Amino acid sequence: MDAVLEADGLGKRYGNRWALRDCTFSLPEGQVAALVGPNGAGKSTLLHLAVGLLRPDDGSVRVLGQQPYDNVAVLPDLGFVAQDTPLYRDFTAAELVTMGGKLNRARWDASVARNRLAQLGIAPHQRVGTLSGGQRAQVALALALSKRPRLLLLDEPVASLDPLARHEFLQALMGSVAETGTTVLLSSHLLSDLERVCDHLVLLETAKVRLTGSVDDLLGTHRQLIGARHDGSAIPGVAAVIRESHTDRQSTLLVRVDGWVDETRWTSTEVGLEDLILGYLGDHRRQGSHAAWGVTA
Amino acid sequence: MIWLVWRQHRKQALFAVAGLLALAAYIIPTGLGMRSTYTDLGLPACVSSMGDGQFIPSSFTNACNETIRSFIGRYTAVANVSVLLIFLPLLVGIFWGAPLVAREVEHGTHRLVWTQGVSRRQWAMAKFGLVGAGSLIVAVVYGFGVSWWMAPLNRVGVTRFETFKFDVGGIAPVGYTVFALALGIAAGTIFRKVMPAMAAVLVVFIPVRVLVAGLARPRFATPVELAIPVDQPNPNLNAARGDWIQSMAVKSADGQTLMDNASTACNPDAADCGGMSGALNTTLYQPGDRFWWFQGIETGLYVVVAAALIWIALRGLRRIA
Repeated sequence: MDAVLEADGLGKRYGNRWALRDCTFSLPEGQVAALVGPNGAGKSTLLHLAVGLLRPDDGSVRVLGQQPYDNVAVLPDLGFVAQDTPLYRDFTAAELVTMGGKLNRARWDASVARNRLAQLGIAPHQRVGTLSGGQRAQVALALALSKRPRLLLLDEPVASLDPLARHEFLQALMGSVAETGTTVLLSSHLLSDLERVCDHLVLLETAKVRLTGSVDDLLGTHRQLIGARHDGSAIPGVAAVIRESHTDRQSTLLVRVDGWVDETRWTSTEVGLEDLILGYLGDHRRQGSHAAWGVTA
Repeated sequence: MIWLVWRQHRKQALFAVAGLLALAAYIIPTGLGMRSTYTDLGLPACVSSMGDGQFIPSSFTNACNETIRSFIGRYTAVANVSVLLIFLPLLVGIFWGAPLVAREVEHGTHRLVWTQGVSRRQWAMAKFGLVGAGSLIVAVVYGFGVSWWMAPLNRVGVTRFETFKFDVGGIAPVGYTVFALALGIAAGTIFRKVMPAMAAVLVVFIPVRVLVAGLARPRFATPVELAIPVDQPNPNLNAARGDWIQSMAVKSADGQTLMDNASTACNPDAADCGGMSGALNTTLYQPGDRFWWFQGIETGLYVVVAAALIWIALRGLRRIA
């Protein structure tokens, strides 16, 4: 399968600070990928680089083989729902659909948006500013899908929605993706939601890619091991210890395996996507700022 | 893009049309009234008796002078309302220019519109171009409207060069409006927030206007000097030509200023002319026929600065994500 989105050593700098650095991954066609990471890890920066809003300072990003920055040729293939699902609030939903038609002469299919919005019961002649957050997100999604994009990028589309609206949004998204085979990159904090819908993962932490790959592969190669207190020596069959916690007599390890683990010494269990992500994110101890606050550690 | 620009700015366009209609509702009746009074008072004959020479001819009657005075007196208050139009370009800069980019960024809608099928350069060209064209129409309509309105007063000697009249008539409003709009747009791309951009327009536009009008404009061309020996009658410059008198002084024969902002005459019977023998009454003025030349320079100046600001805005736009 060809990569729809490919980043190679991608970096973006704001002043002296790298918002994203040395970012390398590729996203195969037809995948629904989760872009995960703590606040400030560079998720939005990565998405903005991918849709061509930002110019890379280092490395490259390619969408369907093309550089997206300042490149109109790539735009018809891209659908983007930005953070907080921005819309012209004084426009009605019908006017936004008209706007889409005027700005996307190439491949715009207004019937996609009309059908979706009709199904959701959104009034065509009501200003979108007066709609609920969930409805606005649906309008934004409908607009993005009407472009019939090959790559759909969404920047925390469900962050501000209540659980029901979130569920409906993701359901709508998955439904249409299943129909069209669109590749999706979706950033979110809501790990449990992602676990249900994603089959690919890009995990960012402090401007770097921490983990990337298909969810099945990642879950297949990670295990939680529980056994007698471990002294830190190499364990046969374990490629890397991601996270460890110890009591006096017992150790719990999150590991990446590359072979057979002695199950007489260790109880090996599978891990879920959420635990895996938290395991990777939690292994860096935060640097305290006690001195700056004038308190003792 | 044209549809989008119209949809986003139709309310502003409506306000502009309403504003111009209100202006027309004021200047057309008063302008016509001024014209009929002009004819009724017999001013055409008076004006033609002034001729187009450098000085007012001796055939010009005192009665005519009185009529002109009363005509000017009657309409000065009406004409002074045009001072308010000085603020029109500022309003364009603040309310059309400043939010043009800044509001999109503030609401995040730039990410919506720049990821559709048009490049942000095309977007910028359409937005700047169409809003600019709208502003231009407003400026041209009110500039020439005011010129038409003031024409009877100008004919009887109210010079078009007068500050506040130069600034609201002819093509100068085009320069100010284009400059204010570009300033607002550029400030919006730099600050990316509406309020600071509006404040920047206010803080930059007014000082620039004051400095150019007060310091640069009088120096656009070397003034003509009229020097008449004090022992000769000091003729009046022909008001009908609309000369812009910049300064008067009494100077000695070797060019030293004896009295500023004054003219004098000496009794021809007095010996040695009261010690002022050889002194000259001097007047520095810009001839009235330089009006369009001055308007052109000032407008051109602002248009060039506006072009530079638009260039800055286009550059800044590339860095917004």
